Amino acid sequence: MTGNFSGRDLGSLTRRQLLGAGLAVGVVGTGWAAEPEKPKTMVVNSSGGVVNKALRKAFFTEFERRHGIRIIDTSPADTAKLRAMVASGNVEWDVTEIAGQDGVLAERLGLLEPLDHSIIDLSRFPDAVKGNKYLFPRSVYSTVLGYRKDKLKAGHPVGWAQFWDVKKFPGRRSLRNHPVDNLEYALLADGVPKDKLYPIDLDRAFRKLDEIRPHINVWWTAGAQPAQLLIDGEVDMATGWSGRFYDLVMKDAPVAIEWEGGAVKESDFAIPKGAKNVYWSQKFLALMAEAERQAIYTNELGYPGLNLDLVKFVEPKVLPLLITSPENLPKQFFNDIVWWADNQQVAIDRWNKWMLKG
Amino acid sequence: MTARAGRTRGSRAARLRLLHAALAAPAALLLAALFAYPLLDLLRLSLEHGSLAHYEAVFSGGLYVRVLWNTARIAVIVTVACAVLGYPLAHFLATAPRGWALFGLLCVVLPFWTSLLVRTYAWMVLLGNNGVVNKLLLAAGIVAEPLPLMHNELGVVVGMVHVLLPYFVFPVYAVMLRVDRDLMAAAEGLGAPLWQVVRRIYLPLTLPGVVAGGTLVFILALGFFITPALLGGGKVMMIALLIDQQVAQMLNWGLASALCMVLVAAILVFHAALKRIARSRAA
Repeated sequence: MTGNFSGRDLGSLTRRQLLGAGLAVGVVGTGWAAEPEKPKTMVVNSSGGVVNKALRKAFFTEFERRHGIRIIDTSPADTAKLRAMVASGNVEWDVTEIAGQDGVLAERLGLLEPLDHSIIDLSRFPDAVKGNKYLFPRSVYSTVLGYRKDKLKAGHPVGWAQFWDVKKFPGRRSLRNHPVDNLEYALLADGVPKDKLYPIDLDRAFRKLDEIRPHINVWWTAGAQPAQLLIDGEVDMATGWSGRFYDLVMKDAPVAIEWEGGAVKESDFAIPKGAKNVYWSQKFLALMAEAERQAIYTNELGYPGLNLDLVKFVEPKVLPLLITSPENLPKQFFNDIVWWADNQQVAIDRWNKWMLKG
Repeated sequence: MTARAGRTRGSRAARLRLLHAALAAPAALLLAALFAYPLLDLLRLSLEHGSLAHYEAVFSGGLYVRVLWNTARIAVIVTVACAVLGYPLAHFLATAPRGWALFGLLCVVLPFWTSLLVRTYAWMVLLGNNGVVNKLLLAAGIVAEPLPLMHNELGVVVGMVHVLLPYFVFPVYAVMLRVDRDLMAAAEGLGAPLWQVVRRIYLPLTLPGVVAGGTLVFILALGFFITPALLGGGKVMMIALLIDQQVAQMLNWGLASALCMVLVAAILVFHAALKRIARSRAA
């Protein structure tokens, strides 16, 4: 591991690189003089498990068929590892998944190659993400409430005010051991409207969290935990990533999703700074931008692709379980990942202290 | 080394010293490359931009200091539990008939060879609300509601004691094997009751093993990560969890390194203090 991690140092180019890049732009205008040589294999890193399986079905096999480059998949999506790779100059990943506020963090630390919009077609994407310079907007994910239908016979909490109401809705509960989303839930439970959450009033949020704290049986850390906790009967209600619950619902487990108050975040893919086959990495992301391929992925996991043409290709039974369906989207709010990138350290410090007391 | 060797050329002691140095060199080099160098790099990283800002962050605000104390407290509980369970076990292993002793050793060694993660998950299966233990207790009518055995400090301590017990048993067992049984026989012959024999002969003679095992367990417990992460349910904060948070979530490696350095320093101070006590006792 070498010494310098600041974006400034990583961003500096040698004169030869600069000349080369300038020449290339001069020749074809897209930044690529000619199609660079194909590597035999490429490494796509993602969060693993069911995600990798769905990625293979939707994108990897098709990429292999079109370009004859074999895709090796690795996991998990680890931003610390990304930072170590870029810093040591030994970048093993050609493309990697980055979730939520980590994307902003990676962009600020200069860990990513810019997207080539002449290769990756984002014209049919929502305006909010069309202009992304470094982060390919793969999908959105939502942290929602999952619950045991069979255990909560008298009904389940709808929205966070009811989740906080332990008298009316008894049952074992689990929240994530992290301030993200939980602070927002607390504010919503305290009556703050969805569009007035940011900037987050930390004092108010933690005051409200004090109320629910004695009733939380497990503070989960890993993304796979909430589904497991529900299936094992460790808890009756847990917040968790919608795709993990989607998997359970599709397998007819006695688990259901409440979308009210869900926290939506952008989930991105990106090219690590110094990746070995940048052109082919761009090509891979271009494939990931196609609506038809995205639909295959969405059918598997319920994480929608953001290409607006997606709805034409998705299976009808999947639609009600989509984060972005017209039914579900208005119930949720968009997590402000920039606020989080700016305030994460303060929020986490305070969260840890809060966890410590009593 | 070479200068000294020159002065006492031909002397047996000097040649032996050289031989010892040569024998130790490969291990020393390996340690330097794989341990000392990364540790120095960590120290450098913790002093990012040549300032003590990260150390200030560690010692101000109360969070990290309190978690360090909490970590030490849990490590002490685990060490004491290991001693209470491990001392009689080691005695059994050292004195039982050969067949039984071998069987007992196997029981200690087998889990020792099993992956830490597997053992931690095994405890989750045992201690959960629908786990084996709670199911038995419910079926037997001993409790009406499942007991909270996991996702709290109890679960963490149980898991850690299980993992660390062999580290206590082996050093104590090794020392107990070397204790001269005739000393106890002599004491008994002279009319000392059993507890006096234990207190005045067996315990002092086996104390070096207890100190070695206890130190090992305590130091390893300070750095535990997987077990508190999985069995603590987020409610048990140990310093390794916070270091992981800084490395993986915050990408604040400077602060993470500073926390590591403080942990290493605490362990060194503890070790030095223990050595001093041991030496003053011997003197």
